[in-house]
This record gives sequence, C-alpha cells and structure tokens, in this order.
Amino acid sequence: MAILLMGCAHQNTTSTEKKPLRWVGDIEHDATIDEEEFLVCNGDSKVLQYFNLGQGPVYAGEKPSLVKAFETKYVPIKSKDQNGLIRIRFIVNCEGKAGRFRVLQSDLDYQETKFDKRITAQLLQITKDIKEWVVLYKNDKPIDYYYYLIFKIIDGQITEILP
Amino acid sequence: MNIPLLACAMIIFSSSLFSQPNCEALKYYYKDTVQYEACKKSEETQGLYQFSKEYQEILDDALRIDPTFAHAYHKKSTAYLKSGDFVTWKKLMDLAVKYDPHYNLEYRGLMRYKCFRDYGGALKDFDSMDSLGMTSDHLNLARSMCHYSMGNQETAIQLLEPYLDKEEDIFGLTGYLHLGVFYLEKHNYKKAIDMFDRQHEVEQTAENHFYMALAYKAIHQNEKYTEHLIKAKEQYLMGRKMSDGYIHPIHKIYLEDIDHEMSSHSIE
Repeated sequence: MAILLMGCAHQNTTSTEKKPLRWVGDIEHDATIDEEEFLVCNGDSKVLQYFNLGQGPVYAGEKPSLVKAFETKYVPIKSKDQNGLIRIRFIVNCEGKAGRFRVLQSDLDYQETKFDKRITAQLLQITKDIKEWVVLYKNDKPIDYYYYLIFKIIDGQITEILP
Repeated sequence: MNIPLLACAMIIFSSSLFSQPNCEALKYYYKDTVQYEACKKSEETQGLYQFSKEYQEILDDALRIDPTFAHAYHKKSTAYLKSGDFVTWKKLMDLAVKYDPHYNLEYRGLMRYKCFRDYGGALKDFDSMDSLGMTSDHLNLARSMCHYSMGNQETAIQLLEPYLDKEEDIFGLTGYLHLGVFYLEKHNYKKAIDMFDRQHEVEQTAENHFYMALAYKAIHQNEKYTEHLIKAKEQYLMGRKMSDGYIHPIHKIYLEDIDHEMSSHSIE
C-alpha cells in the first residue's frame, strides 16, 4: 500500500486527499527526486509539524530576510494567466537543514493547476538555496519538523509569502 | 511569547468554536438516525491527533454512514489547513458548507482570509452569510481587514467606526491597533493615537508602541516618537509582540523594522 501511495506522490506534486501514511501530509523519501545527503535525525515517525512547538512560523533572521531572498532572486514571469497559490513543503531536520521538497499548485479558486515551470522551478530553487532554518527543540532535544511556504502569485509576480 | 494573542489564534484554528455536535439531539430532536450514527462514529476521534491516520479514517467511516454529515468534512479539513494543503482543505470545507452552511460559512471565510490571504473569497463567504440571514456584527473586523488588504481603506474604516462608542466589543485583542494603522496610513494622526491608546489598555505590544511612534513622528513630537520606539524594542525583546501559532498576522512588525527606524534617526 505504501509503495502504491509513493508512486502516486512521485512527481513533487500532491493530488487531493491521499490516504495518510502516519499523519496527513507525511513526505516519504523518494530516491528519484530527493537529495541522498539529506537525513532526518530522529526517524520519519518522529517528524513533527512546525506549530507543534507553539512558536508559530519561524525563520532564521525573521521573516524579512526570507522575503528579501525571494524579492532579490525571483525573476517574475509576467503573464496574465499565472495566478494562484504555490506551496512548497519540506522537512527541516535537527541541524536546521531542509530536504524532501514537494510542490502543490492551485489557481485562485483552489483548483489544482500547473504554473509555468519557470515560476515553480525558481521558487523551488530559491527555497532549496536557503541554507539555514531555525532548529526547534522539544524537551531540549533538537527535532525534525515539517514546514511550508505558500506563495500567492498574481500575473506571475509574488504578492504574498505565507505563513 | 504573547500568550493571550496566541491563545486566541489557537482557539480559532482548533475549531473549538465549531465543536462536536450533540449527537443525541440529532436523534431525539431532529429524528435523524443516519446522521446520529455518523455523529456517534465521529465521537471516536476524541483524544486522537487530527493529523493521524486513525483520526481521518474514523471520519471517513462516519461519512460512509452519512455522506452529508458536514461536521466530519469540517473536522477532516483542519489537518489539511494546518499543513497548507489549500486544495484538499477547500474541497472538504466546500462539502461542509454545502451540507451545513450555517455552521461552516463563517469558519471557511475566516480561514480563507487568515491562512491564504484570500480576501475576496472571504468577503464572498461573509456576504453569503448575509444572504442566509446570518449577519453578524463581530465579523466586521475580518471584513474590514479584507477591505483594507484589498486597498479599500475608507471602507475598512467605515466598517469599524460605528462600533467605537458601542458597548458591543467587536475589536477583540488587536482591533484598535488595526484601526489605528488604517488612520495612520490616512494621515489622521490624532485618531490613530487615540486608537493606539485604546489598544494599550487592552494589551501592551511592540507593535502598538511602534505604530504610536510613527504617529508622533508624523506630527513632529520627537520626544514621544523616541520614547515609543525605545519601548517598542523593549517589548519586542521581551517577547511582547503580535504572535500566532500558525501564521504571521497583518501589521506584525519585526526587529529589523524597529532597528531600521532607530538607525535612520540615530536612536540607540
């Protein structure tokens, strides 16, 4: 069953309501797209969600530094038909490194869609290029956690970065 | 960490405002035995983590009993909302709204605004509530925030001003701060300061001092500008700032904002 599910989720993309492996949104390692050197420290069964620690969304250098990274590096693909939401979800490990990136895309009516690849590829690469994420601790022990960025795209330009 | 503000956010996200229906009422009052069975099944999620496979499967079972049981769609949707899966969340909440709009429209609208900055979509949901006779004054703050974010500051202000002298409190924990910022951006500094004073009585945050400083700066009261900027930094470093367990709220500031303002006016 797990293999079947993995096959469905193969292409960095999620479709609607897949049966969870353990938790909703769990991301299994996929050797065809994930970097071999990225490892979770405490095992897949102990990866938490970023908000489980009660600190809210956190970024190294706070959110302005994240926004600045995209403002300076993203080259807008200006087009009237490039509108919607793009989520990049990934795991931050106990060392503050990120991996297992997955992309979800929708139009402004929340219907799954495909953006121009030059948009998604840029967002994915800029996210991957962020080398330092905040290390979160539970009971003084560094943990692995899921995190995501959502980009609101209007006419090919980033208008919001969430959460 | 700002506990009261965080607690407020947690309440909204945990859907506890939209709690488990009374199954017995479905059976005895509404005589709906199918929905009663689905409801009883959904009660088995108690104590389970909403992200877990078990939690989701119990709700799937409830929906096999009654595919119109809106509550189960709503409960299933929460984990998708929290993981940022807007596609699945919206599909599930659309079903929840379809089968029980009275219970779910407000929540869907609030989450569209809060989590996905879908201001137009949120306003549509609030308008649908109006057309169903579910108009609620307390939604005016969310409506106002949506209009403000869409660039309609005048409408945003008009939605809140009538409540300033009413007993009914629609401003909650941060409403005066938001209205103060609206006034600030419209260069109405006297009213802005009045709102920040009111906000100060609700809660002291770095944001309130920061925006207060900007208002005093605009009217050239340099002493008060400096005083509030310094207080903003103190509050920020003490963790007294706008916070939310899941998202960054509108009008939240960052240390960089305070430091930039201080350095540009040589304040240490």
